[in-house]
Formats: sequence, C-alpha cells, structure tokens
Amino acid sequence: MPESPQHPSAPEVGSEARSTIPAPPAGGRIKALLGLVIAALLIGISFDQTSFNLPALFSGAADFWSFLGRLAPDWSYLPAIWGPLIETLQIAYVGTFLGTVLAMPLIFLASANTSLDPISMWIARTLLTILRSIPDLLWAALLVPILVVGPLPGAIALTFFTIGILAKLGSETVEAIDPGPLEALRATGAGRNAQIMFAVVPQVAATMVSYILYSFEINVRASVIIGLVGAGGIGFLLQVRLNFFDYSAVGLIIIVIFAVVLLIDGISVWARSKLI
Amino acid sequence: MSQVNRELHIPEPPASMKRARFLGTAAAIGSVVLLIIVFLTMNLPSWERVLTGLERTLPPLWRGFSNPDVGTFPLAFNSMLETFYMAVLGTILGGVLAFGLSFLAARNLLGGTVQAMPGKALLVAIRTFPEILLAIIFVAAVGPGATAGIMAMGIHSIGFLGKIFSDVIEGIDPGPMEAIKASGGNQLHVFFYAVVPQVLPEFASYLLYRFEINLRAATILGLVGAGGIGGPLIQRLQFRRWDEISMMLIVIIAFIIIVDAISSRIRRNLV
Repeated sequence: MPESPQHPSAPEVGSEARSTIPAPPAGGRIKALLGLVIAALLIGISFDQTSFNLPALFSGAADFWSFLGRLAPDWSYLPAIWGPLIETLQIAYVGTFLGTVLAMPLIFLASANTSLDPISMWIARTLLTILRSIPDLLWAALLVPILVVGPLPGAIALTFFTIGILAKLGSETVEAIDPGPLEALRATGAGRNAQIMFAVVPQVAATMVSYILYSFEINVRASVIIGLVGAGGIGFLLQVRLNFFDYSAVGLIIIVIFAVVLLIDGISVWARSKLI
Repeated sequence: MSQVNRELHIPEPPASMKRARFLGTAAAIGSVVLLIIVFLTMNLPSWERVLTGLERTLPPLWRGFSNPDVGTFPLAFNSMLETFYMAVLGTILGGVLAFGLSFLAARNLLGGTVQAMPGKALLVAIRTFPEILLAIIFVAAVGPGATAGIMAMGIHSIGFLGKIFSDVIEGIDPGPMEAIKASGGNQLHVFFYAVVPQVLPEFASYLLYRFEINLRAATILGLVGAGGIGGPLIQRLQFRRWDEISMMLIVIIAFIIIVDAISSRIRRNLV
C-alpha cells in the first residue's frame, strides 16, 4: 500500500531526467532538410542533363595517365617561350594600369557616401555589375574580332575586367570609411573633390594599393590564358601548339605558366602583407 | 607680440605622412614610366590598322547589338541551362573533394603547423593552376563535352574551397570538442558532434559563393570545347554574327545576375 504511490513515481523521475535534454529546434531542421532535398534534386537534374559520367571517367583513367605521359615537357623548346611570356606580362600590366585609372572615378560614383546623386550612382553600379558578369576570357573573345588579333584586345579585355573588380572592391572600402573626416571637411565648406582628396583618399589609399596588386595577380593569371582566343601572349603559343598536337611543347608551356603564376602570386602576397 | 600670436599657425604634416606621400608619388611616377616602356616595347598594331579595323567592324556590331536575334533565344537559354548544371556538378565535386582535404590542412585538427603544411601546399598548387588549362587537359583526355568542363571546375574548386574550409575549421570554438572528449567521446564523436555542426553553415555559404564563381567560369569553358554556352558562342564570334552574339550575351548576363541575387540572399540567411 505505501509502495503504490512510490512505484508509479519512479518512471516519472526518469522521464523528467530525460526531458532535461532539450530537443533541437524544429524550424532549423525542417529548413535544413528542405535545403538538402532541393540540392539533391538540383544535383540529380544536373547529372541527367549534362550526362556527366563518373564511371566512364574511372574506366578512362588509364587513357588519362597515358595522355599525361605525352605531356612530358620538351625543355629544348624553352627559348621560344620567353618572348610570348614577356608579352603576357605586358598585357597584364597595361590592363591593370588602364583599369585602375578608369576605375577611380567609378569607385566614388558608385559609393553611397561619395556619389553625386542616386541616378549616377545607380548607373555606375549597373555598369559595374555588367562588367563583372562577363568573365575575362569572354571579354577577350569579344574584343579579338573588333580589334586586331594580338596583345591589344587582350590588354583592353583585362582593362574592362579590372574596372569591374577594382571598382567593386574600392567602393566597398570607401563605403566603410570613418565618416568623421568627411563631415569635418563638409562643415568647413570644402568642395566635393577636396572632400574626396583629403577625407576619403588617405583612409583608403593603403587598401586600394593592396587591391591593385591583387588585380595585377588576377590579371597575370588571366593574361596567360586569353591568348587561347587570339589575344596574344603565351596562351596564343599554347593554342598554336595544341592545334599541332605538339604535346611535349604544350606540357612545357603549362609548366612555365604554372611557375610564373606561382611566382607573381608569391611576390604579390608578400607585398600586400607589407602594406597592411 | 600680439600680432604674432594672432597669426594662423598650420602645423607641419607628421614625418610618416611626408614619407608616405613621397613613396606614393615615387610609385605613381615609376608605374607611368614603366607603362611608357611597356607601350614602346609591346608588339602593338599601328593606329591606322586599328582604326580601319574599327571602321569595318563597328557598324555591323552596332547593328547586331541594337537588334538582338530573338530566334537565338531558345539555343542561348538551353546552353546557359547546361552551363548552370555544369556549375552545379563542378561545385559539388569540388566541395566533396575539398571537404576531405580541408581536414588534412587544418592546424587545430592535425595538432600543428608542420603537419598541415603538405595539405596547404597542395591546395596552393591546385588554386594557382589555371582552370582553362585543366579543361584543355580533360578535353584531350576524355573528349569534348560537359564532363571535361565539370572535371576541370571540380578539381580547380578544391583549391579555393579547401583553403576556405580549413580556415573555417581552424576558427572553430574548441569548447565543444573538449567537452565531448571530457565526457569520454572518441575522435569520431568529436568530429561529428563538435566539428561538423560548427562548420556546416559556413561551408554551405562558401559552397554557394564558389558556385557563383563557377557559373561565370562555366560560360567560358566551352571556348576550349568543355561544354556549356561558350561553344556556340565562339562559333558565332568566328563568323561575327553580332545579332546572335548579343542575344547570347543578354542571356548570360541576365542569368548570372539573377543567380547571384538568389544565391547571395540564401547566403545571408545561412550565416
């Protein structure tokens, strides 16, 4: 009799102890599940639509390795590479320089705190979005038929590309500055140019130089490949050798490109670490 | 005496400021001089050649771009859709491979900087190797088509994703890891209950970001025969069919802007 009230209470204690472990919130789970389902569906459709064949890839692995064997570099071809390689770096330099100069006014037009008026800001931002949605190689492919085949369309393509990235990064930096100096200059009645020159530029200069180096880095990477569509540099040589199925030269060119990109990246990363 | 005191005194800028100004001016002059040298040594065509070329190409270009060919829309849309699917698979492939590699490049999981070095070096090498060269290699090895492009994108994405993933892992809160270890959990428990839940949202966010990059990249892989809209586009560029080219460009730009907007919205909700 005295046991009966205690007995049923025993499991109650247990259930209470168990209930102290809270269940994970339901909302997050459902959302995550939904995301997973959508992702799985998208992947399934993509497999189906692109007829991407993973098993065939494994069965073709032997061919792949034998092909890589044919890419064994022919080092005697090295002297023929220096000229196009220097042209590549020239294209990257001209593209970065012109892109930087042209991006400067756009940076201030596209930033909310330095723009002239909402309309010109909107125009500048739309222009930048369009510039950025076209990849570097596509710019080159578009410009080669318009300008003469060679380094000129390459340099102009990289100019457009540089404007897109630099102005985007730049205007983000300008919008994040300390508004104090800007307000101080405005209060003294300084003009717009003086405001930008003395309140904005000193605050963003170091970051901007770092971004310019970064875009040079990207441009070196781009300049080695834009020759594939006829825009000059070492990529053009690569295209020619590929058309002749001269794979030992192709192998060498790939190695040289890789080495140059690695070198420029290293220098640029080092210089940027010194800046900020 | 009082006359002197009333004179406005503007202080000299500090020495560090002067030095920065001097360095800035020197860098600007140096880069202009280098530009002139580059222009003089570069193999540029003569102005007359460029101008006569422009005279010949600009009028048809203007006509084509002011009147995009509506008949090309189905082809452009379908090949852009294929490009989109390629980017999906390339990103997933890169994500899966990078997921494994990133743990081999995370200092806090491996127990030191030295142990993480080989993984980090491998990721740098992959990141620096141009994607389009990978595409050329895969086209030559497995034949032209989307598979080559997906492989190239997948392999190249490992470099970026692996680095970001390992950075995320290195930045996690060690508390939950220690808690599970203290309550007697093994390495596998630590991994699944302390590491994975902390990194998953950020991984998903960076995966989406990489997807945005890959969608742009996928539009040009076709230029070397690796599938997507680049293939039909380069054909039309060779024949200068500007009305069809402009239609394809409109589809590409619109597609990329819309996907970017959706993707960045999801990313904002994730982290």
